[in-house]
Amino acid sequence: MSIEVRGVSKTYGDFVALGDINVSLPTGQLTALLGPSGGGKSTLLRIIAGLESADSGSVEIEGTDATRLPPQKRNVGFVFQHYAVFKHMTVAKNVAFGLEIRTHGGLRPPWAPQRRRDRERIRAKVAELLELVHLSQFAHRLPSQLSGGQRQRLALARALAVEPSVLLLDEPFGALDAKVRKELRDWLRRLHDEVHVTTVFVTHDQEEALEVADEIVVINEGRIEQIGTPDQLYDEPANDFVMGFLGEVTRLGPVRLRPHDIELSPTPGAPGALPGLVTRALRVGFEVRYTVEVDGQAEPALVVVSRTHARALDLDPGARVWLRPLTGATSVAAPEPRLEVASA
Amino acid sequence: MTLALRFLVIAYLAVLVVWPLWEVTSRTFAPTERNAAGGVAAFLERLQDPSVAYAFSLTGTVAFWAVLINTVFGVGISLLLVRYQFPGRRVLSVLVDLPMSVSPVVVGLALVLAYSSGQGWFGEALEGVGILIIGTTPGLVMATAFVSLPLVVREIVPVLEEVGTDAELAASSLGASGWQTFRRITLPTIKWAVVYGVVLSMARSLGEFGAVKIVSPGAEFRGETATILIQNRYTNYEEPTAYAAAFVLVLASVLALVVVSLLRKPEHESENLQEVSP
Repeated sequence: MSIEVRGVSKTYGDFVALGDINVSLPTGQLTALLGPSGGGKSTLLRIIAGLESADSGSVEIEGTDATRLPPQKRNVGFVFQHYAVFKHMTVAKNVAFGLEIRTHGGLRPPWAPQRRRDRERIRAKVAELLELVHLSQFAHRLPSQLSGGQRQRLALARALAVEPSVLLLDEPFGALDAKVRKELRDWLRRLHDEVHVTTVFVTHDQEEALEVADEIVVINEGRIEQIGTPDQLYDEPANDFVMGFLGEVTRLGPVRLRPHDIELSPTPGAPGALPGLVTRALRVGFEVRYTVEVDGQAEPALVVVSRTHARALDLDPGARVWLRPLTGATSVAAPEPRLEVASA
Repeated sequence: MTLALRFLVIAYLAVLVVWPLWEVTSRTFAPTERNAAGGVAAFLERLQDPSVAYAFSLTGTVAFWAVLINTVFGVGISLLLVRYQFPGRRVLSVLVDLPMSVSPVVVGLALVLAYSSGQGWFGEALEGVGILIIGTTPGLVMATAFVSLPLVVREIVPVLEEVGTDAELAASSLGASGWQTFRRITLPTIKWAVVYGVVLSMARSLGEFGAVKIVSPGAEFRGETATILIQNRYTNYEEPTAYAAAFVLVLASVLALVVVSLLRKPEHESENLQEVSP
């Protein structure tokens, strides 16, 4: 295990940011800390990096107890949401920073005879890293002359330069617009497949986590809700919260399930099907979303079907339908059952 | 309306600033007596008087040390105020501003009470180890430093607050020690604020009168700074020398203002550059 977090708690006054967190993150994987804003995921990341200290508990990185180590001794790379690039240095200088300041293997003082050789070695390494993040042609620019996406790639190259044992990214794409965010997301996945450094990134975007991560840790209100692969989380959510956070959910009878996991039938007969009335049909791109008033249920059910399927069903608002979960549908028990089950 | 307002402002500045300064300037270069020579030569001759040279060199020395001390402590206090949370932080912040609002004369008086060898709280002890504060150059430096302290701090604090801690944290996660982070990241960031604060406190230190007047013996060749010299000569019917010295001080302030406005320019340019890129 690359990172072992044991019993970590952190409070700010009365507010419990993290309550007794235990998690181990395996070497070489890309892990997402996913959860709503203010849920404690960034705090956990900053505690791992040493930028904040835990009230109790311990953090172990690559087998060494890092709980009391200052950030500069932990050998972690940290990438901030707002890049935190050094504005007064060129792109190349930014990347070289971590390499130059090292006591061993860094840039020796001006009077040392090996300084020229150090400089050459660092220059080669910087060129290699800039190549990796596709910023070679911007080496001599200042960060202010780069776009947001380029700045974030620069921050990544800078963090990778010191060959950290773990790379920590705090909402790395949060400040970027949707299109650039999607590009960088793909790029991060490919980069990770190339360099294989243990990476943990914080996000509140479930799509981002599902798409990029090998493993997802869902954090809410300072607690871990579930840990698992994207498939596990999506197919076997541990509870209502995880289910709701990872995608759209609707209620049908005693369970909550995904709107596309409901079978719609214009005729009764299927065992366990609930009758209802279509109140609204909305077409969004390739899918059609029906709002159905289920008999004896307070909130309406949402059903999503493909455009082709909808055409075959040919349902208009006012039509009577029968609903039941598809076989193999992911579902969890609804939190407070406030309905009388009516079966036809 | 704007025309009237503009006229009012110009008239106000003329009456308050331009005309009096013009008087000083014209009298500096005016012949002292009928038939005597005026102009630059006479002005320079007056400045070459040993007591005037002494006064200016003393003012220079005092200003140099006061600015140096304030720069070091100003940067330190600014970092403390912005980067650390501790009990009494707000009190400290107010205390730093105090020299701005308290009359310099009061500052001088306070220093005398605290450090004079006769009645001061620390004076006796310091005199015991051979250190005299009041009536010597260290006393003048202290008084001047006290008065100009907020100038450096108030320039640096807003810059530190604006840039935040991300870059510093990034540096430390890259392995930089506290000193390396300060020298390579923090200092370049606040560089222009420091320079600006230094120029301002230099101008303030050169012109300080009230606090210095109280702690200095104020006699010729004995703690007579440029400002005290002006006061002494003016009251002793040696007005031409007083005018000459005053003119030099005016020149120094104008120079400081020019330096400051030149410094402000590159700062704004870099800010604009920041905004252009998305």
